[in-house]
Amino acid sequence: MKALMSLGALIGVAGLLLLGGMVLDVVPSTYIRLVEGYMPIQMLLEVACYVIGFTGLSYTLNAMGMAIPRFWQGIGFWVFFLLYLKYRMYPPIPFSVRAMYGTVSLVAVFMWVSASEEDWQKFKQPIMNVLDAQTGGNRLLRYLYLVLLPILIGGFSFNAMMPKSEEPIELRTVHPAPPASTKVHGKTYTLQTSQNPYRVNPEGKFDQEFTNANIVEQGMGRLMKPNANPWDDKNQGYLKYVREGGEIFFQNCHFCHGDNLNGRGLHAFAFNPIPANFTDPGTIAQLQETFIFWRVSKGGIGLPNEGFPWASVMPPWEQHLTVDEIWKVVLFEYWHTGYYPRTWD
Amino acid sequence: MMDSITQKAGIIAAAAFGVVLVSSAGYSSVSAQGLPEGFKKGDLSPEPSAEMIEAGKRVYFTKCVWCHGVDGAGDGPGADRLWPRPRNFNQGTFKIRHTASGELPLFDAKKPIAGQNDLFETVTHGLPGSAMPPWEGILSEEQRLQVLSFVTTQLVKDRKFTDKQSETQTILQLADLKPKPATDESKKRGGELIVEKKCVECHGMEGRGDGNAFNLKDDWGFSIQPANWHKCWNFRGSRQDPYNVANIFRTFSTGVNGTPMPSFADNTTVDERWDIANFVSSLCERDTLGNPLPIDPLTDKPKINFVIPSDLVEGEIPADIEHEAWQKAPKRIVAMGGQITHKPRNFVNRIDDIWVRSLYNDKYIVYLLEWDDRTKSVAEGKLPWAPTQVNIDVKEQDPKTGEEGSIAAKQNNYTVYNDAIAIETAVKWKELPAPIKPRYLFGTNDQFPVDIVKWEADGSLRAFKGTGWDKDFEERDNYEEAMKLVKSEWKNGRWYVMIQRPVGNKKDQDYDEDTFFEVGQYIPTVFFAWDGHNGDAGRKMAVSAFYYTFMNPPVPQETYIYPVVIAVGVVLLEGWVLTRRANRKKGKTL
Repeated sequence: MKALMSLGALIGVAGLLLLGGMVLDVVPSTYIRLVEGYMPIQMLLEVACYVIGFTGLSYTLNAMGMAIPRFWQGIGFWVFFLLYLKYRMYPPIPFSVRAMYGTVSLVAVFMWVSASEEDWQKFKQPIMNVLDAQTGGNRLLRYLYLVLLPILIGGFSFNAMMPKSEEPIELRTVHPAPPASTKVHGKTYTLQTSQNPYRVNPEGKFDQEFTNANIVEQGMGRLMKPNANPWDDKNQGYLKYVREGGEIFFQNCHFCHGDNLNGRGLHAFAFNPIPANFTDPGTIAQLQETFIFWRVSKGGIGLPNEGFPWASVMPPWEQHLTVDEIWKVVLFEYWHTGYYPRTWD
Repeated sequence: MMDSITQKAGIIAAAAFGVVLVSSAGYSSVSAQGLPEGFKKGDLSPEPSAEMIEAGKRVYFTKCVWCHGVDGAGDGPGADRLWPRPRNFNQGTFKIRHTASGELPLFDAKKPIAGQNDLFETVTHGLPGSAMPPWEGILSEEQRLQVLSFVTTQLVKDRKFTDKQSETQTILQLADLKPKPATDESKKRGGELIVEKKCVECHGMEGRGDGNAFNLKDDWGFSIQPANWHKCWNFRGSRQDPYNVANIFRTFSTGVNGTPMPSFADNTTVDERWDIANFVSSLCERDTLGNPLPIDPLTDKPKINFVIPSDLVEGEIPADIEHEAWQKAPKRIVAMGGQITHKPRNFVNRIDDIWVRSLYNDKYIVYLLEWDDRTKSVAEGKLPWAPTQVNIDVKEQDPKTGEEGSIAAKQNNYTVYNDAIAIETAVKWKELPAPIKPRYLFGTNDQFPVDIVKWEADGSLRAFKGTGWDKDFEERDNYEEAMKLVKSEWKNGRWYVMIQRPVGNKKDQDYDEDTFFEVGQYIPTVFFAWDGHNGDAGRKMAVSAFYYTFMNPPVPQETYIYPVVIAVGVVLLEGWVLTRRANRKKGKTL
């Protein structure tokens, strides 16, 4: 138990140092990337680690006779969380969202410190001490608060009222609900029943299992399986079409979606909304192949309003590519990221 | 972080050594062994193991082949729509190196150390300003070394990294050379040297890459442009650290193989090279306090703020950029990408950012637009289409690999059209519930059109109404008379254009055609730019994302009154809490 708690304490201290480094701008906030597109899964995991670390730290300090009063624990954790939101999160989240999370975490801290009557007494004791001002130090503190509070609150409200030109926050739905069917090049495709005609084995039959077995391997680098090179001239079926899809991708799509399909292409920096990151487990990995077919064919202009059709520069690819080419690109995107398309069953 | 520590340690250890070196070399830049100053002989690296090469093949055919091609000839499917083109590995010609001009770059499959492994650093940090991305975080260190083992042994065909007969390594000892502080004196000397050493012939009088820009070719015959020193984040060798002078010092010392950029190691001293590097680095865009612009680590470009604030001026808006009001006006970078949504697409946009400032008074708003364009382009004779025409048949390249007439090959042979810039703002933007806007490319439809103000290098300033990406513009009655082209000047690779337009009101203007600019409101604004020497016309252009013009309101009186009221309220509240507590302690409850 003790060893476990010490380990926890170690994690807590290391984590705090790391965050300190990020606050002071010594360590870039993009330094640790365990999960590609590392919000929010990695963030949630990290905060959980921190909580474990702090529990261990608190226990160890307690055992060493240097317990931190409940009052400071509560405040300390809240401050930690605010700093974490501001300096660790990348890409940064806007202030208003941070304020929301900050408020929620403040409520959580209050619930924690007032879980039992005894805890609550312990928590509010330092506040009462200052109010009662029995000692010289507390009296000084009390007068300090009396003077500083009105000045600070007045100052904050002045700041809040000064006209500002901050970017308005616009929340966009990244994966809006798809239509039941879509018409591309004169033919109607029902999203529920359509299949990628190039997801076929060398005999030319639709074969989800075969194609899933030949996509790139998950893990660092996402490399192709050693015996499944799309550039092998002997390929028939799936891998041949992957290569053809890749050729189309690298003549049309990589400008925005990037050479590694992570949304960091040559032109990506200029656009807002930013191009989708296909390596993120939250994009194509969550979607059916027919959904991608619809999005690729109709592009930004074909989005419903919650998807910001006015701002998206995604081309309606039916203007540039044939149906076959679109299916091949979709095939390539799943191959290159190593994700299986979702199926309806 | 490791890099900078090792670098610093190296600098401290070698500071004294550097002094000795400089003093012994005297004014000659060639040391006793006949090597250029700052260089030392090095050994060739051992050949990577067969396993590394085999493993690297797998990386190459997953990630690299798409641009660099099956044989590494820089002719993959992506190549022809890229400019600069992907590297052709076959000749062993690599741009960014620590080695002397013409030599192979540093590569050792066992030493992934910054400053000692050029190719590894290129793969790690990418080549900004080209399509080569940083592979750090995507490929592991091991995988990066593997793929380079494959490239250097299998795809470099004309030379051999381990051939002692034909290859030498003369290595710039960058870690041992102490950078000279960027004092005014050093920068001044650097500014004189770039004229003396003829840097300005290619890079231009202001270093915007506009010198001999249109006659330069690389070793493969593809057209190539001199670097624009004002955009250091696009320096290929910037190693994701664009404001670091050492990178400029290195490029200047070693030259860029395969391009007209020579090495200056033989005819400059180390001291002179630092002066030049300091001067070149000082030209890179900075904020008003002279600090480097914050760089977004996701894009390796300057961070973007989508709000373009416009300050209020009393009376006439000054036409002189040097005027105090313009100098104080906040300057915003507007990132530009190629228009690739609808045909004809512009894969190779030459304008990648615009600097925008704005001022307004009670009647007008003025935009000051500055952007770098290596050539002033004015079309000869009459253009074969009307100014309102949108669907212009400018040919989009066929992307077949190796085919003649690809974008890179034809880069300089376009018909020259007018350079141009346009500001598009939403009409009736108040009727659209936020965040809905008319579509960025020339508006949504008749119901939600856009107001387009377009300036062209032939001196025209026109106002159009846009009702959709494929609908021809509509002329707007009388509006052009209300606008004014305050300034339009091309100087040393940069356009300066100042456009004045009415803020709009219901009395004089048409609400269905013209944008009304309201103080304190976010007015959706999009920018378009055309480079005439790139064959840009119609939809073949560069576009921005949605920005907002925001006219800063004067501070209202309430801002000063309410905070005081609130502060007084807090004092009263404090009194109440204290009394209550005191009463309770005395046993009296309220």
